[in-house]
Amino acid sequence: MKNPKFKESLFYIIPFYVLSFCALSGLLILFSASAAFSSDMTMTLKVKKAIAKLDKTTQVEAIIPLPKDIVKATMDYQGGRFFTEERKSKITRFKCTSCHNNKDISINNAGKISHDDIKIVHGDKEGPLSCNTCHYENDRDFLVTSKGSKIDMDHVYDMCGQCHFRQKKDWIGGAHGKRITYWAGERVVKNCTSCHNPHSPLFKKRWPKTYSLPLK
Amino acid sequence: MDSDKKKKMNRRTFLKGAASTAIAASAAVTVGCEGKGLLGSSEAFALEFQEYFKKYYRVMTPVERQETVTRLEKLARIKQDITVNIDTTNPGKNVLYGYAFNVTRCEGYMECIQACVKENNLDRKSNTQYIQIFEMEPGQMTPDQGDSKFFHMVPQDGHFYMGVQCFHCENPPCVRACPTKATWKEDDGIVVVDYDWCIGCRYCMAACPYMGRRFNWNQPEVPKDEITKNQHYLGNRKRVKGMMEKCTFCIQRTRKGKLTACAEACPTGARVFGNLLDPDSEIRFVLENKKVYRLKEDLGTEPKFWYFID
Amino acid sequence: MKKNTASKGIFSFIKDCLLWNLSGPISYQIYLCILVCLMMAGIYGYVVQFKLGLSATNMSNIVSWGFYISNFTFLVGVAAAAVMLILPSYIFKDKDLYKVAIIGEGVAVGALVMCMTFVFVDLGRPLQFWHLTPVIGQLNFPSSLLSWDIIVLNGYLALNALVPAYILYCHYKGKEPVGKFYKPFIVLSIGWAVAIHMVTAFLYQGLPARPFWNNPLMGPRFLASAFAAGPAIISLVLHVVNSTTDFKIENKIFNKLRIIIVSAAVINLLMLFSEIFKEFYFPTHHSQSATYLFFGLQGHDSLVPWIWTAISINFIGTMILAFNPFRERQIILFPALILLIVGIWIEKGIGLIVPGLIPSPMGEVTSYAPSNVELLITLGILGLGMFVVTMLLKPALIIEKEYEDSHKH
Repeated sequence: MKNPKFKESLFYIIPFYVLSFCALSGLLILFSASAAFSSDMTMTLKVKKAIAKLDKTTQVEAIIPLPKDIVKATMDYQGGRFFTEERKSKITRFKCTSCHNNKDISINNAGKISHDDIKIVHGDKEGPLSCNTCHYENDRDFLVTSKGSKIDMDHVYDMCGQCHFRQKKDWIGGAHGKRITYWAGERVVKNCTSCHNPHSPLFKKRWPKTYSLPLK
Repeated sequence: MDSDKKKKMNRRTFLKGAASTAIAASAAVTVGCEGKGLLGSSEAFALEFQEYFKKYYRVMTPVERQETVTRLEKLARIKQDITVNIDTTNPGKNVLYGYAFNVTRCEGYMECIQACVKENNLDRKSNTQYIQIFEMEPGQMTPDQGDSKFFHMVPQDGHFYMGVQCFHCENPPCVRACPTKATWKEDDGIVVVDYDWCIGCRYCMAACPYMGRRFNWNQPEVPKDEITKNQHYLGNRKRVKGMMEKCTFCIQRTRKGKLTACAEACPTGARVFGNLLDPDSEIRFVLENKKVYRLKEDLGTEPKFWYFID
Repeated sequence: MKKNTASKGIFSFIKDCLLWNLSGPISYQIYLCILVCLMMAGIYGYVVQFKLGLSATNMSNIVSWGFYISNFTFLVGVAAAAVMLILPSYIFKDKDLYKVAIIGEGVAVGALVMCMTFVFVDLGRPLQFWHLTPVIGQLNFPSSLLSWDIIVLNGYLALNALVPAYILYCHYKGKEPVGKFYKPFIVLSIGWAVAIHMVTAFLYQGLPARPFWNNPLMGPRFLASAFAAGPAIISLVLHVVNSTTDFKIENKIFNKLRIIIVSAAVINLLMLFSEIFKEFYFPTHHSQSATYLFFGLQGHDSLVPWIWTAISINFIGTMILAFNPFRERQIILFPALILLIVGIWIEKGIGLIVPGLIPSPMGEVTSYAPSNVELLITLGILGLGMFVVTMLLKPALIIEKEYEDSHKH
């Protein structure tokens, strides 16, 4: 039963096996360690190093259509020009000067068309804003800044940005508001009034659109 | 005497063996017949037979990819009676997707979840959702302290809201864990799953620190009129029971330049999506100008999903 | 009755093995019938699961691994424990344990078959298992610990099946097996046994997402509990063999096994104490899994009675085996062995897998208990394992007895 040659061969077999197991496990550990550390440097560095301007039309193969109801913003963002949703076609009672002019109007429909339905929930605790804070008295088709410059209703962000200057800066850069449909191509973003009712801008409480199971 | 006993044993054992073989054979036949019955027509069976033997997506040539897409589209027409368009768009050059979530702006409306479920053809029966919205209290930072099972008017006073989903890590633990390489990170940073290659071992699910992955425990059911027909092979195409799935940053939309469904649906603009390699993008503006943080950063997974406050 | 040794070949070996397996007294036939019934129940359960998908189980997106993987974890340990018979027999030349080494290997093969079957029934798409093979599919080696596990388990199965098969075949032909053909593989299987259980432990240990598992003590703890529960099961099998066949096993073999079991069980308890200290001395959010296991969390406390029972019976079993109150009558230690095995099965199976997954990485707590389908399939696989062990051991013992008798003359 006792094989002297086997005892000798044990001296080779056991160390060989132990060494190969250690080598394999060592490789596994080194491999995993290198994988972990390399990607830690890769993404942050890669993003920081990516300062070369990219062509807006080549990031995706698909052709990005430009929507029709947009206007070019009065300022540029960090990537150049950008567009925003126009507003005037969405205001049901535009043009304002069809009523607000120096001509006589009949009072038949006054009740219906007066702005009695608008409640202003906009302003601080002392009291809400008045209509004339934003609407230009002398030309009701336009808005007005506190310094007296006329603002077109499509470019309402120049109006709102007087008080909400932080949100305006974020909106120009992209941290506030939303792009319309596409992340690629020409930048088209929502206007202030696309999301906020100017007379009552806060988002209302509502029920969530859905729920997650299991419910409590 | 000995040989007599042995003969009795042999006869008994033969009968027992025959009986058990008969049972096993009938069981196999029943399963086999039922399986055939489920498949419907023989054309569907032939297509599924070819699909069973197809290769791993990453080693397929473009011709083979087109062939499998054609088979899948035909199967959709035969079995579900709908026309889908499955594409295999490759990642764009110089694109690395990043996502930012504005914790101040989220109000818990869950419109993102609703849009995601519809866009990605998620199973309605088990209420599968890739996104979870957590209701948090002041002072809490991580979602595991929050409550994602709320259902009341939002936003509740004294609470804030934040959403989690797959963060598409640059160093994804799920990719390392998968034994068949069925999940991997694409060149544009999206961590995808080759559904047909997945064997359903769920090791990736154990490995993900963010609950980013979902498993099809049952056969998914999507109402026919709600199926999104623009699909991607690695995205929202039809999945069956036994496969893993996960958020794919709406690969069928984003590779065509569109925003993800969640980013588009959010009414408050709390979600920012874009190309991290484009220095002019909104996501880069957020990363450079806002105070951003990521979840479980100590795990070294390098997620591409940041949170910030206004 | 005895055939001429020259005319014995591989076909007669297989034929004789089959005949030996199917013949026996009425009690043996009933035992085989019960096993076949268990397997049929398992097959029925699996058909239900195959049709419904894994929703037939009680697993969910939070508890994504359940009863199947718990049993798999425990049984890999049992399979690895065969090394505790091989090591003394072949390296330390212990003659007593050498006699029963083959039984240990038979139990190891049975346990391995059960392990692989548990993984198979746990897969969502088992028909696509060919995706794992290296050339025609993709095997994510060396990144994925599961790929390592597949390789080492299959290798260990080959080692533990082929080496005893070779030895038995030689003994069947009345010859002495050639040392250089099998002894290197025996030495390999010693290290390999340790490897299979460490790799299985690394499966859980390597996940930073699961703080309950992500500690360095998992691997050594697995080995300790395996070397306690495994030889205990082998001890039970030896008791059965001793009482039902004419292959007699002396008390000193049971004593040697008892010493191995007690040493491993004490080390296991020490490691358990170390883990409990770490979790509860200064509980952090990472200790929530342990809190769920030992005390319950947010009203979910289904595992609490199980773990406390498991630790108590583990402790009691270890104490009885250590102090050995009935020196000569080994059969009285039967209950102590069973207590130890059940204790370790609970603590290493369901008491390890489920708490590791609760709470979820996003803090959700839920409960888990195996469904009827899972229980049916588990029973079926248990039947399969016992069937495999019986099929392997019955001819092996007959061959060994004949060889021993013929070499006594």
